[in-house]
Amino acid sequence: MNGKERIKAALSIHEPDRVPLYIHGINEAPIIGIGRHITDGLPDPKEFREMNDRDKGKLLDTLFLIHEHFSIDGFTSFEIGHEENVDAEHVADDWGVVYTRSIHGLPVATGHPVRDPGDIDSFTPPRPNRAHLLLLDLGRERFKGEKALFWLMRGAFVRSWRLMGMENLMIQMYDNPEFVHRVVRMVTDYSLEQLDMLVDAGLDVLVVEDDIADRHSPLISPRQFREFIKPYNMELVEKAHRMGLKAVAHSDGNLWPLLDTMIETGYDGLNPLEPQAGMDLKKLKEYCGARLCLIGNIDCVELLPNGTPEEVDEAVRQAITDAAEGGGYIVCDSNSLHPGVNPLNCIAMFEAAKKYGIRNV
Amino acid sequence: MELFSELAEKVENGQHKEVMTLVEKGIAENISVSEMLNKGLVAGMNSIGIKFRNNEVFVPEVLMAARAMKAGLAILKPVLLREKVASKGKIVLGTVKGDLHDIGKNIVCYMLQGAGFDVIDVGIDVPKETFIDAAKAEGAQIIALSSLLTTTMVYMQEVMNALHASDLNDTVKVIVGGAPVTQAYANEIGAHGYAADASTAVDVVRGLLGR
Repeated sequence: MNGKERIKAALSIHEPDRVPLYIHGINEAPIIGIGRHITDGLPDPKEFREMNDRDKGKLLDTLFLIHEHFSIDGFTSFEIGHEENVDAEHVADDWGVVYTRSIHGLPVATGHPVRDPGDIDSFTPPRPNRAHLLLLDLGRERFKGEKALFWLMRGAFVRSWRLMGMENLMIQMYDNPEFVHRVVRMVTDYSLEQLDMLVDAGLDVLVVEDDIADRHSPLISPRQFREFIKPYNMELVEKAHRMGLKAVAHSDGNLWPLLDTMIETGYDGLNPLEPQAGMDLKKLKEYCGARLCLIGNIDCVELLPNGTPEEVDEAVRQAITDAAEGGGYIVCDSNSLHPGVNPLNCIAMFEAAKKYGIRNV
Repeated sequence: MELFSELAEKVENGQHKEVMTLVEKGIAENISVSEMLNKGLVAGMNSIGIKFRNNEVFVPEVLMAARAMKAGLAILKPVLLREKVASKGKIVLGTVKGDLHDIGKNIVCYMLQGAGFDVIDVGIDVPKETFIDAAKAEGAQIIALSSLLTTTMVYMQEVMNALHASDLNDTVKVIVGGAPVTQAYANEIGAHGYAADASTAVDVVRGLLGR
C-alpha cells in the first residue's frame, strides 16, 4: 500500500498494511528542527513571511522531505495568498476579517465586518480563487499520488464567528437567528464552490476545520450546534462524498456532547482528540467503533514538548493498541507540531508509528 | 419576595427587557436596591454560573444572562451610589501581554459583576504596568490575570514581580486562570488564588475578600 491507500483504508475503517501516520499542522520551527536531522542548509527558525525566497523554498522542500523520509502518509494543504497586510500588526483576509498578529501563535481575528443584519445586505462575499490552492498543487506534483492530499477548510462556525465576532454570533443566535442562518448560508456557499476547485486539483480528504469546544465543553449548546452548524457542514461532507473524497472533522476541545451529531453529519474521521479535554482514545474507540476513524491524541501539550523519546514511543504503542484494531486509527499529534515540541520527540512519534503499526494483516 | 425570585429567573433566562422592567418597578415601589441586587441579579448569575460549570448551559446562555444582569445593574447603579451601598470589592481584570484572547476573560468579568463586584476590565494584551496602575488608580483589592496560551502564561510571573516591586504589595491580591494555568503554576508564581472556571473565580474572590 502507498500512503494514500493507507489513509483511505483507515478512513473507511479497513485495516491497512500498517497504521497510517499524518501531520495535521506544523510550524516553521519544528520543520526546521526535524529537518536538520535529514538535510543541511536550513535557516534559523523564523516566521515564513519573514524569510527570503531562498529560505522559503528550502523550508517547503524540507516539509516535503520530512513526509518522504519518515513515510508520513498524508500531506496537509490550506489556502495561501488570500490575506493582505493592513499594517505591521494587522492582516486582512479576502472576506474583510482583520487579524492581529501575535508572536505567540496564529493571528487572532479581531475585526469583524458583518456584525448586524444591515451589514450583510451590503456585503459582497469573495469568490474562491484557484490561485489560492498553490500548496495543494505543489503537494500533488511532488507526491504524485503516493500520499493522501488533505485540505483544511474552515467550517461553518469558524467562518461565521470570524465575520460576526464570537460573542456577537452567540447573542444573535437568540436575538436574530435568521441573520445567523444567512451568514452561515453565505460562507457555506463559498466553501461548496471552493470544493469543486479542490476536487479538480486532486484532493483526497476534506478536513472541515471548525474549532467549537474548549477543554471544559463545547462553546455552544448541542441544540445550537444542531440548528446552526450541523446542516451546513453536512452539505460539505455530503458533497465531498459525492465527489469521491473522504471527510474529516477537526475541532479542539471536549467534543463528547456533540459526538453523536458529528457522527450523524457523516464524517469519516475525527481529529485531533485532545487528551486534556477528556478525549480518551480507548473510550472513543469503544463508543465510535466502526463509525468514525480516530486521528490524533498523541499529546502535544506535555508529552511532545517535555517528554522523552521513550515516553513518546510508549504513547504511540498504547494509542495503536487502544484504537487501531480493525482499522480506523491514524497516528497524529493532539493538535499540531507547534514551536514548543521537541523535534526528537516528533521523530520518535514517526518511528514508533511504523514500529508498532504493522499489524500482520 | 416574589420580585426577587422573578428577577433572578429573568436574569438566568437572559430576558434583559423584563429585567429592566422589574428593576424599574422595584425602584418605584421603594424596594431595597441592595436586595434587588443580591437576591435578584446576583442570585440569577450565580445560578447560571453553576449550570455553566456543570455543562447544563453554554457560553451563549451566559452571555444572554450577563446582558440581562448588566441591563438591570445599569438602572440600579445610580441608586446604589446615591444610597451609599458599599461595593463588595474592586477587581482589575485583563488578559496578559502577548495574548489576544478575550472570551474567557469576558465571561469571568460578567460572573464577577454578576456577583456584585466592581470590575475594571483592562482588556487584552495588557502590560504589567497597566495592571498595577489601574489597581492603584481604582483602589482595587484584586488583580485577575487571564491567559490562553502556555507561552503567554509565563508573563503572569512578571506581573507578580511588578506587584512585589510596587507599594501595592501588601494590599492587592492576584488571582490567575485560563486554559494552560494550573493550581501548581499559581503556587509557583506566588499568586493568591487560582480558578479553573468562571464561577469558581467568584468563589475564590469571595474567599480572598472574606465576603
